[in-house]
Order: sequence, then structure tokens, then C-alpha cells
Amino acid sequence: MSEYTPMQAEIADIDIESPNTYLITLKLLDETTDFRYLPGQFVMISVFGLGECPISIASSPTRRSLQLCIRRAGKVTNAIMDCLVGDVVGIRGPYGNGFPLHRMMRDVVIAGGGSGFATLRSLINYISDRREMFGKVAIAYGARTSQDLYFMQEYKSWQRAGMEVAVTVDIGDELWKGNVGLVTGLIDRFDLNPGSAAICGPPVMINAVARKLMERGFHLSDIYVSMERHMKCGVGKCEHCTIGPYHTCQDGPVFSYDQVREVI
Amino acid sequence: MKAFLEKDRLIPFLNTLSRQIEVIAPLATEAGAVYSTWQGQPLDLRSNPLSPPTEFLLPHKETLFRYIQESGRYTFKEDSIPPRLLFAIRPCDLHAIALLDRIFGSEPSDQAYFRRRRATSLVVLNCTNRGDECFCACLGAGPEAQDPCDLEITDIGDGYLCQAETPAGVLILQAAFNLLQPAQLEHDQEKARRLQLVEDAMPRDRSYHQIRQAIERADWVALGQECLGCGGCSFVCPVCHCFNILDRGVPDGERLRCRDSCILSGFSRLTGGANPRRTAGQRLRHWYQDKFEDLPKITGLPGCVGCGRCHLVCPAPIDRSDLKVESREAKI
Ligand SMILES: Cc1cc2nc3c(=O)[nH]c(=O)nc-3n(C[C@H](O)[C@H](O)[C@H](O)COP(=O)(O)OP(=O)(O)OC[C@H]3O[C@@H](n4cnc5c(N)ncnc54)[C@H](O)[C@@H]3O)c2cc1C
Ligand code: SF4
Ligand code: SF4
Ligand code: FES
Repeated sequence: MSEYTPMQAEIADIDIESPNTYLITLKLLDETTDFRYLPGQFVMISVFGLGECPISIASSPTRRSLQLCIRRAGKVTNAIMDCLVGDVVGIRGPYGNGFPLHRMMRDVVIAGGGSGFATLRSLINYISDRREMFGKVAIAYGARTSQDLYFMQEYKSWQRAGMEVAVTVDIGDELWKGNVGLVTGLIDRFDLNPGSAAICGPPVMINAVARKLMERGFHLSDIYVSMERHMKCGVGKCEHCTIGPYHTCQDGPVFSYDQVREVI
Repeated sequence: MKAFLEKDRLIPFLNTLSRQIEVIAPLATEAGAVYSTWQGQPLDLRSNPLSPPTEFLLPHKETLFRYIQESGRYTFKEDSIPPRLLFAIRPCDLHAIALLDRIFGSEPSDQAYFRRRRATSLVVLNCTNRGDECFCACLGAGPEAQDPCDLEITDIGDGYLCQAETPAGVLILQAAFNLLQPAQLEHDQEKARRLQLVEDAMPRDRSYHQIRQAIERADWVALGQECLGCGGCSFVCPVCHCFNILDRGVPDGERLRCRDSCILSGFSRLTGGANPRRTAGQRLRHWYQDKFEDLPKITGLPGCVGCGRCHLVCPAPIDRSDLKVESREAKI
């Protein structure tokens, strides 16, 4: 069988994160599979008959369950979200490089915008479980409305693990008591030394956050960005995901800001 | 191992081979030379088919695997790949295959490609007649085979000088032993003379560096305005290998791999509509940049073998080697 033949995984659990986003827990049918991954890596997930698409791994390798956080976006993602517990999907991977953890073991800023926060949850929970290996950690997360905020029930545990968590929304409403505004605004408040950073979100947000961090003395090559590109194969062959000589699926999706700033 | 095959023995030679293996050869058709299964049809060995032989390694459409559902669980099956012999492919296309081997061989190697590649024997016809748009010599791809193949043959007038390069090539010659004669020193000399003539007739202004300079100089906005975005250039290029993966059939069906093209507007578009290469000019530039900058970084070789097909097929008034807009008349 070739690399393109997926493994089968059963949907073991479905949590609703927002009206159009579910956190799905997968269980590989072949339990002997050695599925090891790093925060920042992704899988190709498929619903047979509808196709495949790339989805970041939202769980941390330090914990047992394999989770993906999927937003309704089109054909394949809709089909996954229409699945029930017990249904079987295909997955192959893990693919991509993941975050360079050994280079991030100091003060860390984690900034997420919109659905890009899914891949950062893997990193956050990893740090949470390996807390002593990192310095001060601050999380800045922005979504469109309070309805669109993911993983709300976990913020407390992140704070208990000694991480600063700041959240904001673009559009406030009567139920929302928190911040309204841009993610960049949250970063000003963080009290930490220039260290490393992980960003995932829309291009304007990535650029704004990176600029802010550079003002605060972060080095370009210490700012890691998870990039989204159209992907079909996940293994550096189909050429859909190229950024210059890089294949986002293999050389990325995590790049240092100096590698990709011109194309964001 | 070398041998000489008289021209009027070529058909008996192919007959012998086709009894053992499916032979794909350039057939003479109303639409020009076309690589297809040979079953005695007339051959066209003078022109290089517009559709490259790489389509037998990376087909326009192939089944990666079939999925069969039973009580919500799936089993997967791969189709078996029949052994084949590609007869009379040109050195440029052989060079393209060497490139595809490197691209698909990068970790994790693409077994869907190598399944076909391993089942395919390659017989190369060295080029003693140059096509109008050929510039293989500028890129180190021809006119004599530069890369490993099973058997190399050269038209030396009244026959072909055959040189087996691998055990499989020796077996091909042994299978048709009674049709062959011993090769002579003069045969080698005649081969060298004819190939030198072709080499001398090659354009000298399309080297890797010259094309890179043309890429820097080119007016991509103007070229983008002329490009129709048809993707023709990329579908005839033997090095192009972009593909798509999609499913057909529920609950049972097949996962397909189909050729795709970075020239097409939706190729890199993301869900939600953002597109890193929005304009035709950006996409055309990316096509060249990939061949002359990115692929050399990844594979060590330029991603163009100088076959000239992209220029031949392009319906737009674009000179594909000088990267200039041409007058419309020049194209007709
Ligand atoms: C590395 C990476 C990680 C991602 N992680 C997540 C995640 O954790 N959660 C999440 O909800 N989304 C994630 N996405 C985005 C997700 O892949 C797209 O929303 C998804 O491909 C949409 O497919 P669709 O068939 O549902 O949508 P459609 O828009 O219907 O897609 C139509 C076709 O376009 C293709 N297509 C469109 N955009 C993309 C794309 N970006 N990559 C590949 N193919 C595409 C699809 O394969 C499909 O065949 C990620 C994307 C990348 C590249
Ligand atoms: S770019 Fe044009 S000349 Fe070069 S190999 Fe491809 S089709 Fe042939
Ligand atoms: S063949 Fe010519 S018109 Fe068609 S996509 Fe290529 S450059 Fe554009
Ligand atoms: S997804 Fe195919 S090359 Fe990256």
C-alpha cells in the first residue's frame, strides 16, 4: 500500500466548541499503530467518497487522546461534522514539521486568531504538561465573537499551570464582559522577556503580531508562524502548497517569520 | 552489450517484444505521433509526440486504491500494474523521468509512482533529427541519452545501433537475438557523427542561466495578460507533475489521483477564497520560477529538459523561451 492509503479511525467523541466548530476525538482502529506526533503537525483526514483535507492536530502528544478541531468550511469538513460517534474516517500522517520545541524553551508568546487557535492548543497543552521546561508563557487569542471562542473550559487549567491567558473578540455583545479589539492589544500587557513566539491566524493578524513582537525585542527567527496553504498530498509531491522552494506540508507548516514574511 | 538492427527488422523486433510485454511506441496518427500500445500499427519515429511518455508513469487519472465498505469499516485494494516497455522515448523525456524519480523518490517515496516506474522498461531513441523547438543540449538533456535506461538505440542510416545498459536491456536484446547483427566500430563512429550534427544545430541561447535572466527581465504583467490560463503548457511538459487527489463513489469507490496544474487559477486557492497566486502573470512566473529556481534547489537539476513542447502547444502569442509577448502573426 502506498503513502496515500489512510489508516481508519473511529470517531470516539464529539465536543461542540462553537456553532460551526467541533472538537473530534479519534481512535485508530488498529490500536497497535505507533502514532507519534508533535504540536504543530497535521493529518490528512478523509470521508470516503467525499475526499480529503488537511487538519491540524489539536491535542498534545503528552495526553492520550488524538483530537482534531474542525470548522465547517466546505465539502469534506461538512461531511466530517455530519459524522456520528462510531463512524469511521480515514487519516494519514502525521505530516509537517511541528513547532521547534527545543528552540522555544524560554519565555513564550502564543498568539492565535480565529480557527488558527486549534493548532496552538496542541502546543499550549504540551507546555502545560512540560511546564518546567519553559519560561514565562502568555497566550493571546482573538475570535470574531464570543460565540466563536474555542476551548473556553480549558483557560482556567492553563492559568493554573502558570500561563497568562488573554482573550479578545472583534465584536462584543451584552453577554461578553471581556476585551473587545485586536490580539495585538493584548500583547502590550504581557510582562515577559523577548523569547520565542508561536502564531497562527489570518495573514493580517500574523503580520501585526509579528511587528509588535519585534518592537518588543523578539528576533525574527524566533517567531514561528503556522502557515495555511492548499494541500492535497501532504508529502511534498503534488506541489499545491509550495512557498518558493518550500513545501508547506513538509518544510512547514511551521516556519520562522524571516523565512516567510514576504509571502504572508 | 551492443548490437546492430537493420531497419527492415524493426517490426519483427517489436513483434518479438510485444509477445512478452505491452509495448508503448510512438504511433503515426492523423493527430501526429502519439504514444500508445503498439499492435502492429505504423510508427512515427521522426517527431517527438506532443503528449510526453511520462503519462505512463503519472497518468492523467489513476486509481490510488479502492475502498470497499462493510458494516462501517473499510478494506482497501490496489489495482495491479501491468509491466510495460516504453519504446523510442527521447533523451529529453528520459531526463524528465530521471527528474521525476528524484521528485517522487524524496522521503516518503511515492509508491504509487514507483509501482509503475518499476514495472516499466525504457528504450530510448537518441535524437538524430532535431525538432524545430528543441533545445535539450542547452540543458544537458540530449540529444544523446544522459540518464540510465534499459536500452539505447540510435538511427545510423540503414539500421539502429542498440546498446543495452541494464540486465533488462540485455534480456530485450537476447529475446530478439536472431534478428540482430554484431555491432561494428563504424556503427559507433556513425552514431557519434550524426549526434554531433544535431548538437551543432542546437540553439545556443537558451541555457539555464540565459533563461534565468529572461525570467528576471520578463514583463510578467504583459505575459499574464496574454496567457489564456488553459494549462496546456503544463499538461504537455514531461517534468510537470502537479496532481489532485479525489474520491469517486459511495459507499464503495476509488480514490483517484488526477493531473492538475499550477497554471490553473484555483490551484492554490484556500477555503474562503484567499489565493497566494491571484493573477495569471503570478502563476506563469511561478511556473518558471519552480523550474529554474526551486526545482534546482530541491533536485539539483533544472526543471526543464528543453523539449520545446510548451512553446508548440501554447495558443497565446507568447514566446515561451525568450519570455516575450510575440506578434500574433508569428504564432500562426
Ligand atoms: C496545515 C493545515 C492545517 C489546517 N488545520 C485546520 C484545523 O485544525 N481545523 C480546520 O477546521 N481547518 C484546518 N485547515 C483548513 C482546512 O484544511 C480547510 O478548511 C479544508 O481543506 C476545507 O476543505 P473542504 O472540503 O471542507 O472545503 P471546500 O472549500 O469545499 O474544499 C473544496 C476543495 O478545495 C480543497 N481545499 C480548499 N482549501 C484547502 C486547503 N487549505 N488545503 C487543502 N485543500 C483545500 C479541498 O480539498 C476540497 O477538495 C487546515 C489547513 C492546513 C493547510
Ligand atoms: S518547460 Fe517547456 S521546454 Fe521545458 S521541459 Fe517543460 S515543456 Fe519542455
Ligand atoms: S499554454 Fe500558453 S496560454 Fe495556455 S496556460 Fe500555458 S502559457 Fe498560458
Ligand atoms: S500538499 Fe502536496 S506538496 Fe504539499
